Amino acid sequence: MTTPNEILNKAAELRGTLSTGFRDEIVKSLYSESEAITNRAVHAKGEKTYDLDQRIDRIVTSPIFGLPLMLVILAVVIWITVIGANVPSNMLASGLFWIEEQAATLFTNLGAPWWLTGFIWHGVYRGLAWVIAVMLPPMAIFFPLFTFLEDLGYLPRVAFNMDFLFKKAGAHGKQSLTMAMGFGCNAAGIVATRIIDSPRERLIAILTNNFVPCNGRFPTLIMLGTVFVAASFSPVYASIAAAGSVVAVVVLGVFFTLIVSWALSKTVLKGEASAFTLELPPYRSPNFLQILYTSLIDRTFFVLWRAILTAAPAGAIIWIMANINIAGTSIAQHTANFLDPLGFLMGLDGVILLAYLIAIPANEIVVPTMLMVYMGTGMMIELESMEALRTLLVEQNGWTMLTAVNLMLFALLHNPCATAIITIYKETNSRKWATVGALMPLGIGVVVTIATASIARLVGWV
Amino acid sequence: MNPILLISLLVVVLLGAFFIPKQIKERRENQRREEVEDALKHLLDREQQGRHASPESLAGALGFATTKVLKILARMEMQGLIEHRGVELHLTAEGERWAIHVVRAHRLLERYLADEARLPLEKIHAEAHRREHGMTPAQVDAMDAALGYPAHDPHGDPIPNKDGIIAEVEGIPLTSWKKDQLARIVHLEDEPEIAFAQILAEGLRLGQTVRILESSPERYLLSDGEAEYRLAPAVAANVHVAALPESMLALADAIPLDELAHAEKAEIVALDEACQGFTRRRFLDLGLTPGAVIFPELKNSFRDPRGYRVRGTLIALRREQANQIWVKPITAGAH
Repeated sequence: MTTPNEILNKAAELRGTLSTGFRDEIVKSLYSESEAITNRAVHAKGEKTYDLDQRIDRIVTSPIFGLPLMLVILAVVIWITVIGANVPSNMLASGLFWIEEQAATLFTNLGAPWWLTGFIWHGVYRGLAWVIAVMLPPMAIFFPLFTFLEDLGYLPRVAFNMDFLFKKAGAHGKQSLTMAMGFGCNAAGIVATRIIDSPRERLIAILTNNFVPCNGRFPTLIMLGTVFVAASFSPVYASIAAAGSVVAVVVLGVFFTLIVSWALSKTVLKGEASAFTLELPPYRSPNFLQILYTSLIDRTFFVLWRAILTAAPAGAIIWIMANINIAGTSIAQHTANFLDPLGFLMGLDGVILLAYLIAIPANEIVVPTMLMVYMGTGMMIELESMEALRTLLVEQNGWTMLTAVNLMLFALLHNPCATAIITIYKETNSRKWATVGALMPLGIGVVVTIATASIARLVGWV
Repeated sequence: MNPILLISLLVVVLLGAFFIPKQIKERRENQRREEVEDALKHLLDREQQGRHASPESLAGALGFATTKVLKILARMEMQGLIEHRGVELHLTAEGERWAIHVVRAHRLLERYLADEARLPLEKIHAEAHRREHGMTPAQVDAMDAALGYPAHDPHGDPIPNKDGIIAEVEGIPLTSWKKDQLARIVHLEDEPEIAFAQILAEGLRLGQTVRILESSPERYLLSDGEAEYRLAPAVAANVHVAALPESMLALADAIPLDELAHAEKAEIVALDEACQGFTRRRFLDLGLTPGAVIFPELKNSFRDPRGYRVRGTLIALRREQANQIWVKPITAGAH
């Protein structure tokens, strides 16, 4: 009778006699065994060729078409997302806000005190409703499109094309994919870094994902581009200028991603480039049910749920700050006044900083919070017309071109939203890296905006 | 004085009284443990070389004043780790057991840092040195198992096994090797650091096959068939070489995968010795095993990475990776 211990001892004894390459031998024999089984069981008619794949590959990786094709596809995906989300977003918003109104009326009629109604419905519920209305439609459009490209087999080719840039930055080519995912949602982009199998490069991808502006930041960028940048050009070029400014911000984000990746890989995350192995699967027609499932369940609702968890308390805080007065002024206004000097230094103002501070659960509610404080209303609001927005910001609150440009910069370079910070923590399982991931972009944002503001003031543009 | 202020001050002072001495004590104990362990390693090293350690040699190795070394030695003697035989210092059985434990922890950590964390080779010694202290034998055993019981550290030093048995150091110094005879680098001495840095800077690495082209009191000139390497004799003595094993002879006419022309078919001969741990596992998982047929199929406009077709799948590798796979081109007539 052999006991388990005897077997273990025998194994330990035999281990010493093994040659160094025995692992290679094990894998080799596994492969030759399965090859033998395959040859016996599977019969191929003629030799399998990959003509079509090769022809497609030659186009998508060609020096002339490769990169432009990639940029066009990315631009189209983002364009469809931004345009397509408008209508469902508005419908969702009016539906959810109608419920808010009805419920608030009901509460008032039942004799509930104003602060209870306000806190629950205009605070917590409104925060939730807003986040759902602005986050759900873009994600429900972006993620299926992205998953479609993934299923098609196109995305690994993008990593193949872009790797030369990331190699120079000490990062992994697959980071280009997690960045592209970041356009949909940074939290999803951070989760997507799981495809990078070496820990060092994965951490770089996690920490720099926030430099890609997500869906939640695009509307802010587009609004600023339209109201401010486009306004200083003649009407003919206005829309081109607006689009150009948004593209410039995106390019700047990519630039920062690469520079920061490089800096990280040269300092705290020093190490050798790990095994870059990238499988380029054959092209195939995607399975649409599968796409819908992966993109909606695994990605959209996963992210939305985390956002909802943080949106509710933030809605409460925003309402409290706007509705509790000390010496006749709301807490929000007090805080904004307190932040004003720093805001001025950064070419922004206290209200903008406050909005970024309390609207941390989602970038989507930054502008509504800002408008709430500017207009002194008790809840987050939105303005319908661009003209009214312009009047409010420029004439009543002294915004200049510098404010707009620096806000565009700050929208790109600031701490990730709470959902993304939580995701960094969950993915790295480290408070330290979550803190670094939150504070590093913020620090860069503060430095960059102070620099541009100082230069603009010194040169006399403002 | 405000009573609240007074109470909080009192609390702070009390907390300090509780925790700070404990922390100072812990830190001092850790420091002492490190000193003892470093001394043990030095003594073991000397014994293995058949030389005797003295307080002076220890002072030199640890960079401490002789008075401090004497204090450390007194502590070690009290703990029963060393004994004096005249002026000679010797490890007791207990001391040797502990010393081997530290060496084992150090070399396993180096293996981990090089293969899994992929730290540059010139950095691993210092990092392993920082982490080797305070590991329990159970932790070291677990690390050994997780790394797959490696036999050598990344410099080629043998790693002691669980029972504390250390294999013989393979190879002889390059300075004792015959001219023009093929040799395989089996060990790179990592101390002193300056010499090791020079070896790495020249581009020599473990497992490489070299030949001495020229040896003079001024320099050694080596070749691996492609590049030439120059070393000062003092540095060359830190490179240990051995005869080529049978399996290496197959590599004789192999080329790195990277040098294969587009669409040129080849058979994988071996994965490079320098490629270990994570990278090697990844290669094997993907089916890049000896005997597999491979050819470059997809060019990249930026030269890097390149797509290779192997076992019916297309896999992209960077140049650095492809350089670690040795292949033999298949001539059209043979297959």
